[in-house]
Amino acid sequence: MIRAERIGATVVLLLGAGYLWEAIFMEEVTIGDPLGPKVFPIILGALMVAIGFSLLIRPAGVSQSQPFTKTAASALVLAVLLCAYGFGIEWIGYPVATFLFLLAASRLLGEKSWVAGLVIPLAVSIGVFVLFTRALDIPLPLGFIEKLME
Amino acid sequence: MIEIMNHLGYGLQIALAPINLLYAFIGCLVGTLIGVLPGIGPAGGMALLIPLTYGKEPASAIILLAGIYYGAMYGGSTTSILLNVPGEAASVVTTLDGYQMARKGRAGPALSIAAIGSFIAGTIGVALLMMLGPPMAKVALQFGPAETFALMVFGLSTVTSLAGKSVRKGLVASTFGLMLATVGSDLPTGILRFTFDIPKLMEGVDIIVVAIGLFAVSEILSSAEEMRAGEFVVEKVDRIWLSLQDFRRSVGAILRGSFLGFLIGVLPGAAHVTASFLSYTLEKRLSKEPERFGQGEIRGVAAPESANNSAACGALIPLLTMGLPASAVTAVLYGALLMTGVRPSPFLFQKHPDVAWGLIGSMYIGNAMLLILNLPLVAVWVKILKTPPRWLFPIVLAISFVGVYSVNRSALDLLLATILGVLGYCMRRLDYPLAPVILGLVLGDLLEQALRQTLMISGGSLEIFWRSPIAMTLFVLAAAVVALPQVLYRGKVKPAVES
Repeated sequence: MIRAERIGATVVLLLGAGYLWEAIFMEEVTIGDPLGPKVFPIILGALMVAIGFSLLIRPAGVSQSQPFTKTAASALVLAVLLCAYGFGIEWIGYPVATFLFLLAASRLLGEKSWVAGLVIPLAVSIGVFVLFTRALDIPLPLGFIEKLME
Repeated sequence: MIEIMNHLGYGLQIALAPINLLYAFIGCLVGTLIGVLPGIGPAGGMALLIPLTYGKEPASAIILLAGIYYGAMYGGSTTSILLNVPGEAASVVTTLDGYQMARKGRAGPALSIAAIGSFIAGTIGVALLMMLGPPMAKVALQFGPAETFALMVFGLSTVTSLAGKSVRKGLVASTFGLMLATVGSDLPTGILRFTFDIPKLMEGVDIIVVAIGLFAVSEILSSAEEMRAGEFVVEKVDRIWLSLQDFRRSVGAILRGSFLGFLIGVLPGAAHVTASFLSYTLEKRLSKEPERFGQGEIRGVAAPESANNSAACGALIPLLTMGLPASAVTAVLYGALLMTGVRPSPFLFQKHPDVAWGLIGSMYIGNAMLLILNLPLVAVWVKILKTPPRWLFPIVLAISFVGVYSVNRSALDLLLATILGVLGYCMRRLDYPLAPVILGLVLGDLLEQALRQTLMISGGSLEIFWRSPIAMTLFVLAAAVVALPQVLYRGKVKPAVES
């Protein structure tokens, strides 16, 4: 998997370079502090660039890391679902977003039954919402439901 | 010695008063519940529940809070072991081997050793606190910014060099953690760094968001892939209780973890996080089979769980003997003490012996109570693993998201956790270790501030490090830890770190 190693090293290098760039062009402020807010980040960025470079030239041995396969697609789909879920929480509210997420994610992971597939998300989304908002006083967004209730 | 026993007797008497016993029990119970829910760590949980202490006797209030603290730390290890969801930074280390044990059907022994290790470490910690309190406080006073900086460099380099198979990849991980720590407004000057004009980033990146994203989300993404490929197996629970053999195997790790944790706990900085990372690293280094670490080695659970418990005792020394809160948790205790009208100062033991000794006594009682409360619960917790993974994983994600969201009430944090989850998934694939990222993030701010303060004192000259024997010793140790395995094993057997 030498190619994956190289891609990894390139990402490290680019991350270091981008961070270093931001650090160098940061506002200069000193308040009797010889280092100021810029020097530490510049050291970190330079260090990252150096290691990225060294990993690119001499990869850290061929690892036993598994290659990315076709099944990686399911991990990607789950990640996309999570993004949608994250945004949905404020938009359509925690209970509805959670219901939809659990429904979709359990299908993705192989749930076949529609009865269980609908009942469990319904119970969990309401249960968790009530537990956190009522019992623990941790507020969670209701989204559009809040507007409907007004 | 007799005097100390008398004091402890006095403390226990206070802690064993029925009303205080009840407070300790409530504290442990509520703390465990809080700890089990991801996102609310011990300090946050204590802060949330400070209102419960209003109008109580100072000693009772502190006993209640100490109970919450202990309970939350223990509860955090439960989810780390069962679900790979670290509730706070220190329990990240517990996930490394704890979750692997759970997947191999050994969740019961992992949970039991966490409880037993914590109890033993708490006992040792309380004993050390009584005997070494005052002299240790003097050592801690020697730690100025220069020594603190050196200590953190030592901690980071030790963990980095032993975390993964390649030292350079470990270095990438810890540097990335330090980088994340620089995001947000700079403390001394107030200028914004790496916020890209996003207001929500001004307060920086929260540790809980990173811990849950990097560990829990990425693990579930990997599992989703394995399930799809039909490779995902969780072995059946073979035994719930700890075998004598498991206990014998862990005793050394528990004892070493207890002493190391206590020593680090006294020193300034993110003590209990550093303590759990370093004790894990120490066990891996001492082990004849370091390759077993990360695969479900019971010592990898016993050591950090013990260390973070005794570090909690150590962290009380600066508070009780000098009136200085050295960690987030002791800062909350400090605040609670102030509210009850007790001002922590070097004279706390003389002026308010009931508070000081009552707290020490109650820590001991709280420890015992947690053990009694939690050992029977192990059987209940283990049942969680019977949930089919196609339901368990989505539900864990939904609950973790509540934890992440409640930190700042921001959907951006949820997105950040998902991105870090994908990043963690890729890092796992390419053999980059994840744990140093957390340590880097936890220590980053303290490390940078310590460095800047040091150079402010010296007017910019690095000579100040040279003049501090403690700092130089720590730097030499740090260099030795990184360099020695490379030199010693070159050309011979494969180095321990690479196996």
